[in-house]
Amino acid sequence: MLYVQLIADGVVTGCAIGLVAVSFAYFYATTGIFHVAHAGIYTLCGYIAWYLTGLGIPFILALIASILCGALVGMFVQVTLYQTLENKGASPLVKLIASIGVLTTLQNIVAIFFTPNIVQFDLPWRLNSLTIGGVWFSVPQILILLSSVGLFAAVVLFSKYSKLGKRIRAVASNPGLAEITHLNPQRVFVYVIAISSGLVAVPGVLVGVDQALQPYTSLIILLTAVIAMIAGGIGSLGGAFVMSIVLAVIQSLSVAFVSGRWSIAVVFAIFVLFILIRPEGLVRRKFSRAI
Amino acid sequence: MNYFFSFLVLAEIFSIVAFSTNLLMGVVGIFSVAQAAIMGIGAYTSGILVMMGVPFPLAVLAAIAVCAGVNLISSLPSLRLAGDYFIITSFGTQLVATAVFINWSSLTGGASGLSGIPVATMFGYSFVTASQFAVLSTLALCLVALSFWLILRSPYGMMLNAIRLDEIAVVASGRKVLQTKIGVSAVSGAYAGIGGALYAAYISFIDPVSFDIHVSVLVVTMVVVGGARTLAGSIIGPFLLLAIPQALTLIDIPSTLVGPIRQLIYGLLLIAFMLWRPQGIAGKSL
Repeated sequence: MLYVQLIADGVVTGCAIGLVAVSFAYFYATTGIFHVAHAGIYTLCGYIAWYLTGLGIPFILALIASILCGALVGMFVQVTLYQTLENKGASPLVKLIASIGVLTTLQNIVAIFFTPNIVQFDLPWRLNSLTIGGVWFSVPQILILLSSVGLFAAVVLFSKYSKLGKRIRAVASNPGLAEITHLNPQRVFVYVIAISSGLVAVPGVLVGVDQALQPYTSLIILLTAVIAMIAGGIGSLGGAFVMSIVLAVIQSLSVAFVSGRWSIAVVFAIFVLFILIRPEGLVRRKFSRAI
Repeated sequence: MNYFFSFLVLAEIFSIVAFSTNLLMGVVGIFSVAQAAIMGIGAYTSGILVMMGVPFPLAVLAAIAVCAGVNLISSLPSLRLAGDYFIITSFGTQLVATAVFINWSSLTGGASGLSGIPVATMFGYSFVTASQFAVLSTLALCLVALSFWLILRSPYGMMLNAIRLDEIAVVASGRKVLQTKIGVSAVSGAYAGIGGALYAAYISFIDPVSFDIHVSVLVVTMVVVGGARTLAGSIIGPFLLLAIPQALTLIDIPSTLVGPIRQLIYGLLLIAFMLWRPQGIAGKSL
């Protein structure tokens, strides 16, 4: 029974990480920018929702506000930073370092304007729980499950069938051709970062409700998400989501054998194994941009 | 005066670590955000050995060897593959190293760290005060800077530059890129090991926080601000950036906010330099 509970916890964590991985992969596969600052937006959105609920605003409104804030901050970063660097012909290394700068800035803005301490949401329902088939879930965990699966499906459908989704895929697969045919890649990049930053706000807030908020821990979540993205095959959103769940379940089960303090080492070991055995990821895709 | 010397020693130690990062990131173009972790491994190795009674010079040599090895091994899986895998390996190395420093408490003292590391003694001299230690750290910095300069001037250094500019062309002309990258990882690790060993001996107290991801970002900022691929760049950056916390003590801000404000400045500096001056103050373009 312990194992079933551990697997269930792993699936919930995996869904949250999956949403981070999918949103990161969506931007990364389109632009080729290693957007480390994604972790900063994740943190920022959690704290914005925490601040707003502290003011007495209903949780659902706070969540929507933080999604909008995340999207706006993402668009601001794309327009003022990445686009400028792109126009200057900056190398990927320069963009990455600038992104680390944004991450550091966002984390410390959170620490300065909100609080550098660990905080928890003041919502009475977050401690309620349900037992489904002998497995225990807290209410925030159920929210994470439902919203992650729902949003993941929405992103996949959006990417596949909507006009903008097709345009994004066109830009991702051939930026040069997209430029010639007036698909306007730079504008598409702004849409993509708005979508992915808005998406990452959801796990940012809900994981914060379930556990607690900390300004500096989001990088570990992003690292796990990126490893899941690579293991799933870059360019495959489904692969990233499924591998996030697999990784989180392994991480959760590993607690039964090694201390939970080593879980980051477990994830990293899986990454090294993947690099050695199957560097192109589980789902083989033609992806010419990275690696 | 003592205040000045302690600043000098720290800045020189970080200059050595900046050389380590500069060699990887500036010269070969291998991204690294784990140099603080490697420095920490050097600090723990030498600190633990000196506490066990090993003479200081031997402990430094051990730190150099261990760091060269660890830097090499941590980069090994990614050397075969270019680009973005290295970013993850680098972040991963840093986070795993911090986890090891915190959790292997029987060896590292856990989160509370190791205190009471004996002062450095070499050939009968002991370096107790900051001004005495400054002699040692200056000497070490000169050695590292000299070797960095010699490496860059040598045919080997030309090849390192060529790898950054066009790796495929280097492979096509029959050079062994993999061996070269492995070699440069080892040298870079050795530099960080020297920095770490000096840090442990000088501060006499080390804990995981001294070598976490924020310190690595600080080292990257130093290289970016100072400038890639030049001697002056690796020295200007650390001196300038370590002066910022000193300047902050002059302003009256709550003690809980000092750390975040300092890091906020580092983050803004990174963005500003990438936007307007990617070559840093005294370097060449990244």
